[in-house]
Amino acid sequence: MRNYWLRKILAVPLILLVASFLIFWAVRLLPGDPARLMAGMQADQKVVDSVRSRLGLDKPFAIQYEIFLRNLLHGDLGTSIRSHKPVAEEIAERFPYTLALTTVSFALAVAVGTTAGVFAAIYSGRVLDHLVMVTAISGASIANFWLALLAMNLFAVRLAWVPLLGANSWKSYILPSITLALLPSAVIARMCRASMLDIIHQDYIRTARAKGLSTAKVYINHALRNALIPIVTIVGMNFASLLGGAVITETVFNWPGLGRLMVDAVRYRDYATIQGITLLTVAIVIAVNFAVDVFIGLVDPRIRFD
Amino acid sequence: MDPADHTASFTMDVLDPMYESLTRFDQNLEVSPSLATKWSVDSSGTKWTLELRKGVVFHDGTPFDAQAVVDSFNRMLDPERGLAGASRVRTIVKRVTAAGPGTVVFTLSSSYASFPRVLAVTPIVSPLADKGGQLSRRATGTGPYKFVEWKTGEYVLEERNEQYWGPRPAVKQLKWIWTSEPVLMNMSVLAGEADIINPLPPIFAEALSRNPKVRLIEGSEARVFWVALNTQRKPLDDIRVRQALNYATDRKALVRTQLRGFGTPASSPLAPADFAYDPQTRGYPYDLARAKTLLAEAGYSNGFALKIAVQEPDVDLVEALQGMWANVRVNLQIDGMEHGVFSQTIFGSPKQKAEQGIDCVFASWASDNTDPDYQLAPLYRSNQWSPSGANLGFYANPHLDLLLESAAAELDGEKRKALYRQAQQIISDDAPHVLLYYARDIAAQHTGTIPMPVRLLPGGRVELETKN
Repeated sequence: MRNYWLRKILAVPLILLVASFLIFWAVRLLPGDPARLMAGMQADQKVVDSVRSRLGLDKPFAIQYEIFLRNLLHGDLGTSIRSHKPVAEEIAERFPYTLALTTVSFALAVAVGTTAGVFAAIYSGRVLDHLVMVTAISGASIANFWLALLAMNLFAVRLAWVPLLGANSWKSYILPSITLALLPSAVIARMCRASMLDIIHQDYIRTARAKGLSTAKVYINHALRNALIPIVTIVGMNFASLLGGAVITETVFNWPGLGRLMVDAVRYRDYATIQGITLLTVAIVIAVNFAVDVFIGLVDPRIRFD
Repeated sequence: MDPADHTASFTMDVLDPMYESLTRFDQNLEVSPSLATKWSVDSSGTKWTLELRKGVVFHDGTPFDAQAVVDSFNRMLDPERGLAGASRVRTIVKRVTAAGPGTVVFTLSSSYASFPRVLAVTPIVSPLADKGGQLSRRATGTGPYKFVEWKTGEYVLEERNEQYWGPRPAVKQLKWIWTSEPVLMNMSVLAGEADIINPLPPIFAEALSRNPKVRLIEGSEARVFWVALNTQRKPLDDIRVRQALNYATDRKALVRTQLRGFGTPASSPLAPADFAYDPQTRGYPYDLARAKTLLAEAGYSNGFALKIAVQEPDVDLVEALQGMWANVRVNLQIDGMEHGVFSQTIFGSPKQKAEQGIDCVFASWASDNTDPDYQLAPLYRSNQWSPSGANLGFYANPHLDLLLESAAAELDGEKRKALYRQAQQIISDDAPHVLLYYARDIAAQHTGTIPMPVRLLPGGRVELETKN
């Protein structure tokens, strides 16, 4: 048991190192020249070349990577060629917005998804079940940016109930968090229903009923707790990937988070920023997987990691 | 925030209220005084002497004087600095010297008639801020607005400069918000969250023009859209083929469908906003029979295939062209590219373009100082073949080269115009491009806001009229 956790912790720096190399290399595989993009369409070749040498992109790949690694060890992710700010500072400025939006949407998705899933399982095969499942499939298949634009037009432009752009007040969270919660709540609802259905036909549930427990107690204490394991795994995975930035939602709502920063960085081949955000995402995925393992251990003491 | 270290015209929008140049454009796009009050040129056309405005102070308290101008230009001339927006100044200017506290002398590498127009788009920065390396994050000029805050990708905040030397603007604070989604801009002006949006795509302009909440601001037609034809590759090396494609293009239909009427079919390589634009230039009327005859003469009556490089958002437009050229059996294969890939591809050398099979490129060009030299030389001179310049189809005509060179140097306005008249006709006849149309610059203003005079500079930059 202790070995398992030790191995896991020791693997983290190695994973980060490999990831840093892959990211560094992959970013440079992207077609498109950052120096040309910065100098613009109307610049001549001489200016493009001098911009390239200023950005240090004329150095051999190995040297560039060495410089990157050395700086990384000092906590320096490099400087953005767009904003001229240190990437770490840029990320620190944007990450709270993404974290807040993701947390709100996930709370929403988990609440709506599990409730809907549990009820669909209880009323399996009946109208409520079909209703929930049709809604869930629609929620998972609909293009959420399209729905977001419709909602913005109605609630922000016509009715003026909520602000249209940015993250200025709590009202700014309403539309983007619903948009972002749509897909995960549908996934959670389906997962939760399947998982619950599996469990409510088990012997121990029948036993629980037979010993006279109330329906609510049976479902919540006995069934849901056991159904949680696959749900937690799914939620964890989704949460981690969204923390890297909900790219489309942030773009549509002009949300000042990491997702939009990433889109702009890719557009301008801002290598340092792309590397920084991707590396952060890797770290988050590792951390969340870790947390999921711990949580599953707590929910189901039978699960042991050896 | 350093006006010499970027090239996006919409970044200049944001910087414009905070900086000033030695000259500026007036309502009629003529050059008028700004930080320089008057100027003169010697007979050789290479020595320009400017008298500077007195009593002007940069936002950081540094006095504006001849030394500040010298420093501001020297950093652009320094190749070590590698400033992204310095290429034009570096080509033209040889030396800048102070001849007293209120006088500067520019020595040019050769006579350049439109030098005052170049000065109008070259903002002067505080030498102190530049030395401290603060300009990249904090704009420091002499303009009517001062820098307050920049949150990357979110907004830039500016407030009125109460120490401004000229009349102070009515609006106290400016906030610039950036979005990559035109549909968001459209909604934000309707919701009144934005007072002004720029640029406005024609499709939204058409709808907004009927909305009482919004007033359209229409600028000049300064941007020329074209398809550059690779003159070094078969079959486009044949002038008859290039002319045939020109005849096969229904420009009126493009203006109607793609620009919703906010533009004009192109006949000259210069735009109407340009003082040397000659509307009499003979272009190519839509004439399918003529196109077919020319192709038959060239031996291509059965047609051929061409590959065109285009940015993703412009694919629709090129599809219209594809339909038109199919009428003369030209099969246009569209290679839609993401912005970064596109800019790398189109600046490929002749060899690279041959390897990638790029026959043509759809793009546009606007001369931000409405000077014909900056509209024609980079696109058509033989020393500007990509990647050195923007002659993307590797066109070469020695006679035109000489003509453009003497036109750039000619100090007599009328003689200069006559030279450009000839150049426009030569380019039209040689058909290195299929010239498509001139797009009008459009922005929109919410009618509920404080009336603030706004105008669009050629190329689509919005200028708040604050500098008198």
